[in-house]
Amino acid sequence: MSELVATSPRTAGPRLPSARPALLVLQMLAVPLAILLVWELSGRLGWIARGILPSPTAVAQGWWQWAVGHDAMGLNAYSGTWLANVVFSAQRVGQGYGLAILVGVPLGVLIGWSPLVARLVDPTVQALRPVPITAWLPFSIAIFGISAFGAIFLIALGAFYPIVVNSAHGARDVNRNLVRAASMMGASPLQMLLRVVLPSALPSICTGLRIGLGIAWTAVIVAEMIAVKSGLGYVLWDAYYIGRMDVVIADMVSIGLVGFLSDQLILLIAARLLRWKQQR
Amino acid sequence: MSAIALRQVDKTYEGGGRLVTALDRIDLDVAEGTFTAILGPSGCGKSTLLNLVAGFEAPSAGAITVFGQAVRKPGPQRAVVFQEAALFPWLSVWDNVVFAATLAGTPKAEYEDLARELITTVGLAGFERHWPDQLSGGMRQRVGLARALLMRPQVLLMDEPFGALDAQTRLQMQELLLSVWERYRKTIIFITHDIDEAVLLADTVHVMSARPGRMQARIDIDLPRPRSLDLLMQDRFNALRREIFGLIRGAH
Repeated sequence: MSELVATSPRTAGPRLPSARPALLVLQMLAVPLAILLVWELSGRLGWIARGILPSPTAVAQGWWQWAVGHDAMGLNAYSGTWLANVVFSAQRVGQGYGLAILVGVPLGVLIGWSPLVARLVDPTVQALRPVPITAWLPFSIAIFGISAFGAIFLIALGAFYPIVVNSAHGARDVNRNLVRAASMMGASPLQMLLRVVLPSALPSICTGLRIGLGIAWTAVIVAEMIAVKSGLGYVLWDAYYIGRMDVVIADMVSIGLVGFLSDQLILLIAARLLRWKQQR
Repeated sequence: MSAIALRQVDKTYEGGGRLVTALDRIDLDVAEGTFTAILGPSGCGKSTLLNLVAGFEAPSAGAITVFGQAVRKPGPQRAVVFQEAALFPWLSVWDNVVFAATLAGTPKAEYEDLARELITTVGLAGFERHWPDQLSGGMRQRVGLARALLMRPQVLLMDEPFGALDAQTRLQMQELLLSVWERYRKTIIFITHDIDEAVLLADTVHVMSARPGRMQARIDIDLPRPRSLDLLMQDRFNALRREIFGLIRGAH
C-alpha cells in the first residue's frame, strides 16, 4: 500500500506519520461511502421504486429484524432466523469442503507423484472438470432428492477440482534433488510421499484449498436456491419471490461476509503451515 | 579391497535421437579412509560419475561396488552432499540434520549427542531452529555436511559442494572440510572443477577429460596432513597445481 501513497511530492513538507493511517483509511472508504450515499438518496428522492431497491437504511432494518427479531412476530417469516440459516449454509460448506479435501488432496498428490495413478485417474478428472457444477443440479436432485445431501455433493464436487488439480501440480513439481536427498537417506516410498512430496506440494495445495473454498460458497448458494429448503441460498430465492428485497440484499451481504471470514481462516491456517516460507 | 571400485563403467544417454556417451570405460579405485578428488571441466561427466556411485542412476555397462557390495539404489551407506545443499526448506536446521535418523526410526537418545556435536563442528551451534531460507549458501552447505556425517556413512560423496559459493566463503568451507576430515577420516569422493581445491583437499586427484568423459590421469598429492590454507602459498602446492594444469592443457 505504501507505494501507492509515495507518489505525493517530496516538497510537501515534513511527514506526519500519525496523519497518514487516517488518510489511508479515508481513501479506502471513499468509494464505498459514496455508493451508499447515492443509493440512499436515490431511494429517498424516489429515483428508484422502493419495491425494487430498498435503501441501505431499509436493508439495515430488515437485516436487524432478520437477525434478532422475535420468532413470534407474525407477518415476518424471517424474523430471528438469520443465524440459523448462516449455520445451515456454513455446515453444508464445511461438510462438502471437508469431503473435497479428504479426497482431493491425497488423490491429487498421488496423481502428481505416480505416473501410474495419473494415467488411471487424471483423464477422468480432466474429462469431468469442464462440466460446471450448476449443470450437475438436476442430476444431483434426481439422485439425492430435495435434501442437504444434494448440496453437499455439489459443494464437494465443485471444491474437489481446484484442490485435486493444484495438489497434483505441487506434487509433480517436487525438486528432484530433495527426492534424491531423501532416497540416499533411506526413505521408503511411503516416507517419500508423506515427508517429502506432501510438504513440498503444500504451497500449491493451499492455493487449491483457497480457490476451492470460494467455489464451495458458490455451490452452496446455488444448491440451496433449488435443491434444499433452508440456508442463505434458500432465503435469498424465497425472499425474492415474496418481494422482500431488503432481505435479499441483506442475504447477499451476509454471504459475502461469511465467505470473506472463511477465506481469512484458510489464509491463517496456510500462513501457519507455510511459515517456513515467510522467513526470508 | 578398495572402498569404492568402478570397473569399465559406461554411461550413455539418448539425446536428440542419438546416443551421447557421458562416461567411457571408467576405472576407479578409492582406498578406505582416503580423500579422492575428481577434477574436470564442465560436461566431462564427473557429476554423472558421482550419481552412479550414489545409485541415483544406473550405469549402461560395467560394475560399481562399495565395500564389495554392488550399487543398485541410493542408500544411507553412501551419503551425498549436493551442489545446492538440497535441504528440506520446511524443516529447521536441526530437523534437517537428523532427518535420516528419524526415517530409520532411531530413538532420539541414540543420535542426539552426535547431532549436537556435528552441528557444533560445522559451526552452526545456535542456529538449530532456523529455516534453511534464513541461512547463507555456506551455512546451508554446513547443514548438508552435518546431515551427511550423522548418517555414519561408509563413504561420503560430495558433488561440487562449494562450487556456487563466493571465493572467501569457499576458502572457509575448505578449511572446515579439512578439519572435519581429520576428525572423522571418512572415505570421500569430491567432485570439483577447481584445481586449487582438489590439490588442497585430496590425497589423490583424478583428472577427467570431456566428450566423452574419460579418466585421463591420476596424481598423488603428497602434501603432509593435517593441512591448512597456508599450503596455498607453498612451493610444493604450486608445483602440483602446475603439473595438473599442464595435464589439463595437454588434453585440449
